[in-house]
Amino acid sequence: MTTQADTGHNYRFKTATNRLGLWLFILSDAFLFGGLLVSRFYLLGKTRPELIQLLGLAVTAILLASSFFMNRAETAIAHGDRKTFLNGMLITIVLGSLFVIGVVGFEWQLAPFSAGENAAASIFFTMTGFHAFHVITGVIFLAIVYRNGRRGLYTPERHFPVEAAAVYWHFVDVVWVFFYPALYLMGTVAG
Amino acid sequence: MEVKKEAKTNDKRTEAYRMGLVVLILLAALTIGEYFIGSIAVGWLAPLWGIAILKAVLIMRDYMHFSRLFGEGEEEHS
Repeated sequence: MTTQADTGHNYRFKTATNRLGLWLFILSDAFLFGGLLVSRFYLLGKTRPELIQLLGLAVTAILLASSFFMNRAETAIAHGDRKTFLNGMLITIVLGSLFVIGVVGFEWQLAPFSAGENAAASIFFTMTGFHAFHVITGVIFLAIVYRNGRRGLYTPERHFPVEAAAVYWHFVDVVWVFFYPALYLMGTVAG
Repeated sequence: MEVKKEAKTNDKRTEAYRMGLVVLILLAALTIGEYFIGSIAVGWLAPLWGIAILKAVLIMRDYMHFSRLFGEGEEEHS
């Protein structure tokens, strides 16, 4: 016979296992981005591609703000505040989309070089491209969680999908925390 | 009893929201700092790395709740 307490215990066990799997995935993905970061310094050394500084700062601010709203949404569902949860998710989705528009729609189009032109151009498009792909998949993930949240599938006790989406989203933010200075701030502009 | 429990939950939630905001302000300040270091002191990489690591630690600790990995359930939200 299964009691309520047993079910709760099983759920906690499953959550702990899922959480470990999630972090192992994050770790494996971190190696990919770590490799790209090392490639950037191997290829460019103390130079960097010529980019629009203010745009870089703006997209960074957008991504950091999105992490704040994602954290707020996760905190809200953990405390039973469904309205704040849904609002936070929606704002995060909008900010994530704005980030992609900023990088792919503006920075890529306005960059004074094309993808295969030189090492600086290649590494810039590879790093931002891989990262933008992760942001896009993150936005899709968030949209699914938002839809499920609207349908009332999450409770303060059971909301691991929200936590997984949040951890993935913050990871994408952590990657940009390193990519932003590596691409925009470190070194002199490559001539 | 129920009212007391709800008030405690509200307090915890408010504290968690406040903590999230404090982290955002710190991240914003560090980002502005690294932007100016990058603009003024070209080639000075060490402080930029330091700021990036600090920002990553803040996000992993307070937003990703890394310590949850060593806990048990879903209920231990800060």
